[in-house]
Amino acid sequence: MNTNHTREITYLEAVREAMIQEMRLNKEVFLIGEDVGTYGGAFGVSKGMLEEFGPERIRDTPISEAAIAGAATGAALMGMRPVMEVMFMDFLTISTNQLVNQAAKMRFMFGGKCSIPMVIRAPSGSGTGAAAQHSQSLEAWFVNVPGIKVVAPSSPYDAKGLLIAAIRDNNPVLFMEHKLLYRLKGPVPEEPYTIPLQSAEVKREGRDLTIVAYSIMVPRALEAAEKLAAEGIEVEVVDPRSLKPLDKETIIRSVSKTGRVLITHEAPGTGGYGGELAAVIAGSAAFDYLDAPIRRLAGRDVPIPYNRTLEQAAVPQVEDIVAAARELAQEGR
Amino acid sequence: MATEVIMPKVDMVMETGTFVEWLKNEGEHVNKGDPLFTIMTDKAAIEVEAPGEGVLAGLKAKLDDVIPVTEVIAYLLGPGEALPVETVFQPQAVVTTSTPPTTEAVTVSEPAATVVEVVGLDKVRATPVARRMAEDLGFDLAQVQGRGPGGRIHRADILAYQEEQRSTAPVAELEVQTAASVPLMSVSVPLPNARQKKVVPLAGPRKIIAERMAASAFTAPHITLSLHVDMTEAIRLREQVLEPLKVQTGQRVSYTAILARAVATVLPRHPYMNASLADGDIILWEDIHLGIAMSVEENLMVPVIREAQSRSLGQIVTALADLTERARNRRLTSAEMTGSTFTISNLGMFGIESFTAIINPPESAILAVGKMMDTPVKCADGYMFRPMIQLTASADHRIVDGVGVARFLDDLKATLENPYLLI
Repeated sequence: MNTNHTREITYLEAVREAMIQEMRLNKEVFLIGEDVGTYGGAFGVSKGMLEEFGPERIRDTPISEAAIAGAATGAALMGMRPVMEVMFMDFLTISTNQLVNQAAKMRFMFGGKCSIPMVIRAPSGSGTGAAAQHSQSLEAWFVNVPGIKVVAPSSPYDAKGLLIAAIRDNNPVLFMEHKLLYRLKGPVPEEPYTIPLQSAEVKREGRDLTIVAYSIMVPRALEAAEKLAAEGIEVEVVDPRSLKPLDKETIIRSVSKTGRVLITHEAPGTGGYGGELAAVIAGSAAFDYLDAPIRRLAGRDVPIPYNRTLEQAAVPQVEDIVAAARELAQEGR
Repeated sequence: MATEVIMPKVDMVMETGTFVEWLKNEGEHVNKGDPLFTIMTDKAAIEVEAPGEGVLAGLKAKLDDVIPVTEVIAYLLGPGEALPVETVFQPQAVVTTSTPPTTEAVTVSEPAATVVEVVGLDKVRATPVARRMAEDLGFDLAQVQGRGPGGRIHRADILAYQEEQRSTAPVAELEVQTAASVPLMSVSVPLPNARQKKVVPLAGPRKIIAERMAASAFTAPHITLSLHVDMTEAIRLREQVLEPLKVQTGQRVSYTAILARAVATVLPRHPYMNASLADGDIILWEDIHLGIAMSVEENLMVPVIREAQSRSLGQIVTALADLTERARNRRLTSAEMTGSTFTISNLGMFGIESFTAIINPPESAILAVGKMMDTPVKCADGYMFRPMIQLTASADHRIVDGVGVARFLDDLKATLENPYLLI
């Protein structure tokens, strides 16, 4: 990171900056979605971009996520590098046929003669009182589709570096932006930079247990780690950053060091991505170093409630992470 | 769960123990650490202590029974505990009880005649790291008390058990009673006042190496002789057989293999270099079981090429490759690592020019091999460079004298300098 040109901006601004810089650099990059133009996007991510790039490159669409995904896939197939935005990740259900049956498959089915360089930007997660149809975290569905990459940054710095890497990638990349992270501030260099899609990061070092967390769960895990440190429990927090492809080595190394691992995500536990992480760890060299069962702390198997108290109770909060990590750290010690 | 009393493994190579006598009667209450029974190993009679507290029951061993190590020979029953019986898995029992099957042994009203360990349900609960540590340290997990949920054994429990083992009698007793053992630290000297990086317990293979080497160094008076050998012809031989033997064995001939072949050829002419001192007799071995010292994960291992005297160079190459490969993967059986009659230790690959080795007991000698170096040697018109190695033999002076070692080395030198004698 070049600190000379680094300043504090929000996660939302980091996402916007990544798009603007890539669009200035490469005429093939454009943004397509509902209300991304005049309105500036559902969360204001593309605010001001219409003025700079015009309606050809900041394309408002009718209310059809199937059309957005289909148009983006077709454009990518013809050599453009579209960035498509859905207002809420939940609406990817409507785009799924285009993404899963077309975008993910074409490069394989045509024997590598074409590629689909597109990014699907999807605001995910709960915590805004948007209720069950606007609060989901659907990463597990998409990591199960060969041909699609899935990225879930947890900081402004990671958001910018990973989005630029995603735009430059020649495959469909699902880019998850957690709604609660949009206002998170952090240091971000002004100039463009990339973070490789298969690079996990140790966000905090510790000796007693590892928490593997991504997206919104990273700041929560870091806050939990801070509280546990006051009790003498040293937590290591590892953020995979990209769920697929996954940097297994960093995770395995950390778990081998601490011998205990808590995996946490907001999406429901059953069939969730945490199960994949647990299997990767249990099947690796880290097995011989495990000193307690691998533990998962995930969202409850319920639709996200509208009621604020219930909404918070449905997904792991800082106190839940503290309690689970404390119990795991103390087991058999 | 009743505490199992097992035939202990008191040295690395022990596979069975001969039972001598019970020191307590059936039905008698014993405390942890009480002398419980006596066994005979090939080295000494050993008293074994009670592994726990309870009423002694289900005695299965009697005088002269040869029992595999870790086999259960009795139980110590706590209050309300009964002898385990052979469990045929009974689905009805699971259906009628609300609790799932636990690690508790199935109990019966009277002590059953057939006392067999409960199979399947009676596995020790331990975390993967605890299992690995127990294996590395040679601990029987059944003896370790787990303090995790449901009695699960964690890393901390292994460390606690290790601490306990270090401070209780059996280890000390073994050191005193087994003849070959010598106290590792006979003099008490204060430790330096310095910051510690780490404390590594002297346990497992390291402990066995420590005991054996100390026993050898302090009981066998070592004499050490060395000479230089011109390897020109040995190199030529190797070059000529390299390809054909690669076709034949799939392996490249190493100098260690050539040395092993030469030693196996020469040794029969020097029987006191291939001998053991035992019970006041010197045993001269007909067979040459050649130990090849190697380092695996910081521990010395000496896999053995059996009857090396009757093996061709190709067969030695094959045997050596197989042993090396399996030593690296920790697949060697204890039988393959014991029973050598002479050992070769080659540190040439580390750039070592020469060194003196400690005899691997109960052998009478060991050969230390240094690095091959181009060395100026005087010849008719000045000096010329020849590829030389230094061979150093250490021998037990109780068995063989300096002249005997010198003759062996001279013979070996002559063979290596004219390797066609190997045919």
